[in-house]
Amino acid sequence: MRSLFTTRRVVTKAVDGVSMTVGPGEMVGYLGPNGAGKSTTIKMLTGVLVPTSGRVEVNGLVPWRDRRANARAIGVVFGQRTQLWQDLPLRDSFELVAKLYGMGRNRYLSRLAAFTDLLDLGPFIDTPVRSLSLGQRMRGDLAAAMLHEPPLLYLDEPTVGLDVVAKARIRDFIANLNADTGTTVILTTHDIADVERLCRRAVIIDEGRVAYDGDLDALRRRYLPYRELAVIVQPPLPEWDIPGVELVDTVAHHGHVILNVRHDPLMLSTPEAIGRITARVAVVDLTVKEPDLEQVIHRIYTAR
Amino acid sequence: MRYGRPPASAAIIAKAAKSVLIYRSDILVGIVSLALRVVLVHLVWQALYAGDASVAGIGRDDAIGYAILGAIFNVTFQPWHFSSLMSRVSDGTVVFDLIRPVGLITLSLGQQFGAVLAGFPRALIGMAVALALGAVPPPTGVATALAFVVSSLLGLAIALLCNLLVAMTAFWTTEIYGAIMVYHMAAAFCSGALIPLWFMPGPLATALSCLPFSAQVFTPLSIYLGREPDMHTLASIGGQLVWVVALAGLSRLVWRRALLRVVIHGG
Repeated sequence: MRSLFTTRRVVTKAVDGVSMTVGPGEMVGYLGPNGAGKSTTIKMLTGVLVPTSGRVEVNGLVPWRDRRANARAIGVVFGQRTQLWQDLPLRDSFELVAKLYGMGRNRYLSRLAAFTDLLDLGPFIDTPVRSLSLGQRMRGDLAAAMLHEPPLLYLDEPTVGLDVVAKARIRDFIANLNADTGTTVILTTHDIADVERLCRRAVIIDEGRVAYDGDLDALRRRYLPYRELAVIVQPPLPEWDIPGVELVDTVAHHGHVILNVRHDPLMLSTPEAIGRITARVAVVDLTVKEPDLEQVIHRIYTAR
Repeated sequence: MRYGRPPASAAIIAKAAKSVLIYRSDILVGIVSLALRVVLVHLVWQALYAGDASVAGIGRDDAIGYAILGAIFNVTFQPWHFSSLMSRVSDGTVVFDLIRPVGLITLSLGQQFGAVLAGFPRALIGMAVALALGAVPPPTGVATALAFVVSSLLGLAIALLCNLLVAMTAFWTTEIYGAIMVYHMAAAFCSGALIPLWFMPGPLATALSCLPFSAQVFTPLSIYLGREPDMHTLASIGGQLVWVVALAGLSRLVWRRALLRVVIHGG
């Protein structure tokens, strides 16, 4: 009953002291668990939200203050929602975007032709948006966001809910856009593969603060210092005493045994480690496990 | 105040109208139901006035004509979905309105005007039915007809601005649909779309004529029926203009405040 008459204010800082600079032409992966403040950051960068304190500057403009000038310089895709007009054929949304951004007829038509080609919009451009599949709709949203040729593209979970083929298509499009026109891309996602395919730099935030900002390779090295190998051998198991290679665990597998081992690539190179292993045990098969960025992220998220 | 460039506003209006017109069966049902409503209102008010030449100083023909025009205005100017802004705030799509080189007020009013525009054919058909039945007298002259059109458009502008102002409260409150239903009914009543202000008790009629609602429907209808002749017509239209300017200023003010507390629902 009390809640009917009183409200208790709890101030939650969605973003607190996030500081970063992105250069022109960069593609930055902006990562963080649910509720970390990724979308809030994007909304401040786009001028939708007004920060309570701190400074945001995009191409010399303060987004929320110079909202309209900023709007011309940015394209935005929010994967969870759409800017397309649900009731109308996809083409109508593009026409409207062209008018909103004051694009001339010729420029609009040539851009549309290019996107129709790149994103293969042809088969469904005259279909009402309501009837499109998620993958088709997302391609439409990407085209709508980039139609006016902004130099800066914000992507907030652009591949959420898509199948592998649709994801690959979206990633290729973004990669080409960046390569061909030098579009700066800031990408938030929960799919690490997006980042691995597109970005060299990752910024990871957690509980509103920057947990990591830097190179992806350095990130892997820092959080995954070991290289892991899976070695399949015939039983019985040999005594494990190979210097520089540590046995993590053993798993029985169809009459064989899988030995999961690891080594520090800075101390011992992977070929050398493999040489030492094959010299000591009867190896049936051997695989080198790629350093998994997913594990890295998991480690950062859980190490609070 | 910077509004969007004319092509941008026109495009928004056109797309919004197309969004409504694309559902043809819905349009057809709307037309049939308004035509039916015109016929029924005509029958009921005729029965009501059986034997009496006038009630409260209002003649039979004026009262019936008013009731039917009121029904047409009610359906056209005061639709249930009276602002696109409200649903866009509640589902978070308003985020896209905030990253456009065109202002939110222009976008919202354009969308809503487009939707209302799509209802014009229905209103015209309703009007034609009413004229054919002899339920609504034809306008008394060209000047009256012209004044009626101008006053109707101003009434629409006032309705759109009032609705926008109410819709903007969505930035402060999360769930207002209950209050919205009350507003919708109150607006219909206060505008005189259901019952003419002539039939209301003196103090109530005076109070209502001071609100922007009567300028939406009651004013253009009074002009049409010749109850506000000559200078009174100009004064009424002038009053509507004042409302338009005041409400436009107020929406701008409210929007500036809303901007500082925008919340985008749903992550």
